[in-house]
Amino acid sequence: MITLSDTARKPPVSVPPRVQFKRNWDKRLSYIATHAVGIALGVIFMLPLLFVFLTAVMASDQAMTASLWPTEWHFENFVKVFQKAPLLEYFGNSLLYSALATAGALLSAIPAAYALAKLRWRGQNLFFMLTVAAMLLPPQVTVVPLYDLWVRMGLTGTLVPLIVPYFFFDAFSIFLLRQFFLTIPKDYLEAAKIDGCNEFQAMYRVLIPMAKPGIAATAMFCFLFTWNDYFGPLLYTGENQDHWPLSLAIASFRGMHHVEWNMTMAATALIMAPVIVLFIFAQKSFVKGITFTGVKG
Amino acid sequence: MTSTLAEKASPSAPATARAGARRAKRRRTVLFFMAPAFLGFLIFFGYPLIATVYYSFTRYDLINPPQFIGFDNYVRMFTTEPLVGTAAYNTLWLVVILTVCRVTFSLGIASVISRLKSGVGLVRTLCYLPTLAPPAAATLAFVFVFNPEFGPVNRFLRLVGIDGGLWFNSPEMSKPALTLLALWGSGELMIIILAALLDVPTEQYEAAELDGAGLIRRFWHVTLPSISPVLLFGVVNSIIYALQFFTQAIVAASASAGTADVAGNSKLIGAPQNSTLTYPIWLYVQGFRYFNMGYAAAMAVLLFIVSSGFTWILVRQLRKSQHQEEGA
Amino acid sequence: MPPTTRTRRGALLVAAAAASVLLTSACSGAAAPSGGDTAAAPGKDDKLTLTVYSKFTDREYGVVTAGLNKLKAKFPNIEIKHEGNQDDDKLTQSIRGGNPPDVAISFYTDNLGAWCSTGSFQDLKPYIERDKIDLTQIPDAVRNYTEYQGKRCAMPMLADVYGLYYNKDMFAAKGITSPPKTTTEWFEDAKKLTEFNPDGSIKVAGFLPSMPFYANQAQYWAPNFGAPFLGPDGKSDLASNPGWKAMFEFQKKMIDFLGGHDKVEQFKAGLGDEYSADNGFHKGKLAMIYDGEFRTAFLKDQAPTLNYATAPAPVLDTMADHYGGGFTTGTIIAIPKGAKNPGAAWELIKQVTLDTDTLVDMANGLKNVPSTKASLTSPKLDLQPQFKTFLDIYDSGKLVANQTTPIGDAHLKAVNDFAEKWQAGSVPDLTAGLAKVDAQIDDELKQKGAGG
Repeated sequence: MITLSDTARKPPVSVPPRVQFKRNWDKRLSYIATHAVGIALGVIFMLPLLFVFLTAVMASDQAMTASLWPTEWHFENFVKVFQKAPLLEYFGNSLLYSALATAGALLSAIPAAYALAKLRWRGQNLFFMLTVAAMLLPPQVTVVPLYDLWVRMGLTGTLVPLIVPYFFFDAFSIFLLRQFFLTIPKDYLEAAKIDGCNEFQAMYRVLIPMAKPGIAATAMFCFLFTWNDYFGPLLYTGENQDHWPLSLAIASFRGMHHVEWNMTMAATALIMAPVIVLFIFAQKSFVKGITFTGVKG
Repeated sequence: MTSTLAEKASPSAPATARAGARRAKRRRTVLFFMAPAFLGFLIFFGYPLIATVYYSFTRYDLINPPQFIGFDNYVRMFTTEPLVGTAAYNTLWLVVILTVCRVTFSLGIASVISRLKSGVGLVRTLCYLPTLAPPAAATLAFVFVFNPEFGPVNRFLRLVGIDGGLWFNSPEMSKPALTLLALWGSGELMIIILAALLDVPTEQYEAAELDGAGLIRRFWHVTLPSISPVLLFGVVNSIIYALQFFTQAIVAASASAGTADVAGNSKLIGAPQNSTLTYPIWLYVQGFRYFNMGYAAAMAVLLFIVSSGFTWILVRQLRKSQHQEEGA
Repeated sequence: MPPTTRTRRGALLVAAAAASVLLTSACSGAAAPSGGDTAAAPGKDDKLTLTVYSKFTDREYGVVTAGLNKLKAKFPNIEIKHEGNQDDDKLTQSIRGGNPPDVAISFYTDNLGAWCSTGSFQDLKPYIERDKIDLTQIPDAVRNYTEYQGKRCAMPMLADVYGLYYNKDMFAAKGITSPPKTTTEWFEDAKKLTEFNPDGSIKVAGFLPSMPFYANQAQYWAPNFGAPFLGPDGKSDLASNPGWKAMFEFQKKMIDFLGGHDKVEQFKAGLGDEYSADNGFHKGKLAMIYDGEFRTAFLKDQAPTLNYATAPAPVLDTMADHYGGGFTTGTIIAIPKGAKNPGAAWELIKQVTLDTDTLVDMANGLKNVPSTKASLTSPKLDLQPQFKTFLDIYDSGKLVANQTTPIGDAHLKAVNDFAEKWQAGSVPDLTAGLAKVDAQIDDELKQKGAGG
């Protein structure tokens, strides 16, 4: 372990100019190298998405062919897409699904995570284990009986089977929030309780404001997951096009024998646009929130 | 809280009553906080799991009532059905390889980004964008980029004299190609690791540097211990991702077979040569397309047992790290 | 330690849930009216709404909707709600979910056996008998793919017929004057038409026999080799039937000629997507392909200058008298179990499957073959000259379709999987390999209580 006396014992070394020059050069090289890699990374990651955009503005017969650069630019495809499929309606459904699911997840998971992280009760660890197990469980395992259940309640063809579970138990949100809450020191809550708060008030007045970045991050995860969820809506709203969210809309441009790829890609670009905007604006708080080593301050 | 030893040794009746009232109050609080979670777990996990186990002993096509057939489905799964073994192997391959690659790759990229002095926000956004794309369309774009003849990747490789190979069209390369697809989409893990990296106290780095530790030793002794909870989360996240790998595999298979389709043609699943047939896909096809719901339920039970195994290992790891955190 | 109230409550809840599952599933045997009786046709002025599900979208959706709406001439107050973009999975879900459409349209015949055997589609035989429909106006093969074990679960609505497309310019350049009629001729022609690059890779392929690739799927080829899926005992019959062996050996011969599996895969990967403008045949990289009649529409749109012709698919030398026929499949239309207006649904089905004008209009719009003999000869049929080949094949009496099975397309997947392994050279013994596929298919059949 380093002590002050150790550093004191090592006097500042005077460096000969040649060594200093080499050190500067090393630093510059490493700067260039790192940034070159950064640029390359950015380009590589963007490549397939660039393809999506380029295909979106191609003419129908150029899409999915060997010529990668559009010979004609059809920006009107982005408008045509709305005429071919009721994208605005689908957008409304997506928003409804994602917003309600996220709200439900936060409403149900925050108290549960609080109880798991800050209270002590018998069966606590068991339930946490069950939560982790539920998180790992592929949805295909539970899908059949659940589907049956919703069929008997007559609710298939709507978004209800997708949204309602979030108001009760969302394993991932509970897990994530519990981990966040664990990093908040107990002292603040103890202080609040000494001041006369009960557990609920402690959670509401003390923990939640302190854990805002973590809660924001969890909300973001939930929103993004439900926004791009394909399997769930396919199963539960597949039969009723009025309730389709955007993720199913991508499949709207298929003919009997072929797919209109330029339309499909245009729709893809449009589906991504809102979440990209959301991410760009929420980036700072999102990144700030997702650290596990503690909320400073 | 301020009871003395003497009081504790012989608790008086009012003290026990107070303790009992406190315990009851605590139980009520816990119940209040946990009620939705308990209920939700029972309805959306407990009940379906039990029902799935029940269905696994039946022949059921979801239209006519289930018929009890005992262990036949399980016998079939382990003896005559030829593709369930392939599907299980494919998914296990993905669980192991994809997890290792995903965590390592995300760590690597995050390290690079953490060293950037300018353009951090931009590179970060660009690396995260693929995660925001709808999985079906993103897969199609990715498969196209890797097309052996005219995709940009192989074209570029040909320029530098390397034969890129058949990527998604080859049974040997298709799973590695799918892994690359997953790496491309691992933006969210990258960002989480990046945040953790930036949180490592710089004093520890300086101290280690002064101690004469090189880059690797610094990484091993300073960085890794500090970000290990995040890495553990990354492992959990990747295992989940691999166990549930569905849409991307289906879409990539039909695209590589020359008839790209957004939803996947059931004749083309697993192309080429069933190398991309994952366990969830086969479960879905058996149950929802071949009307063999009972058999699909048996497959689901097996999947549940395997994922429980992973859960147990991970929870032990979580408990260990939790004790370490608390003890430190 | 005594169990707390919470855990006891939890256990009770779980037990209750389990009990309810068992009870409700036992009680859900409520029988829907079986197809033994028919529902009356609606009155001329009855007002109701018929829902129709199909997979059509966009322009084709418009064509089919116009066809469906022709019913209004007879029943002016019936509203038809046509929901497109519903594939087979969604259709099945709606039936399971208890709110199916009145009329279901599917592009694939593969699932008919499964839908029929589970009772998902109603038996139309009573309606046909009641209204005295003459089914001989529909070719045998087409009738076969719309019924299962005597139950008529669907009617055909337009059909697909498969044949050979060939590049006339390339044929002329190599001195070939007529399309091949037998597999031997096919192979010889393919050899002549193939061109290799100096490095040995394929430049132009006379014919690419890879499976699955474009329309090369085992089930489409099988009829040309006289290869059925199921034997007379209802069990899978690949290993013992000479047709399958002949087919696979033919395929192997061609792949070997082209330079082996790897070269073929490399070439195949560079061919454009089946329905894009880069399709290998459109671009002159393939001299001959095997495809359905709808390819003529794509060629007209995407490669109007290509000089091509069509002909019936070549058959095995020993089956020369079967030449002129071909494989057929098609769109099917049915009444799902639980439909609310079966009587009216039947009237709609009659309209779009038996009325010549409706069929011809839809055939012109969708570029498919109209399914009744009368509509084949209608002067209003407005399709390209190359299309006539397919009409002739349809009328030849030598059409073959796949047998309907209760296992959906599981057997098709099994055979196509085998074809992939075979063409990669990983199967040393063809007969033994086919026997394994038989075992696989029989295993699936057993699940349905069929095939012994």
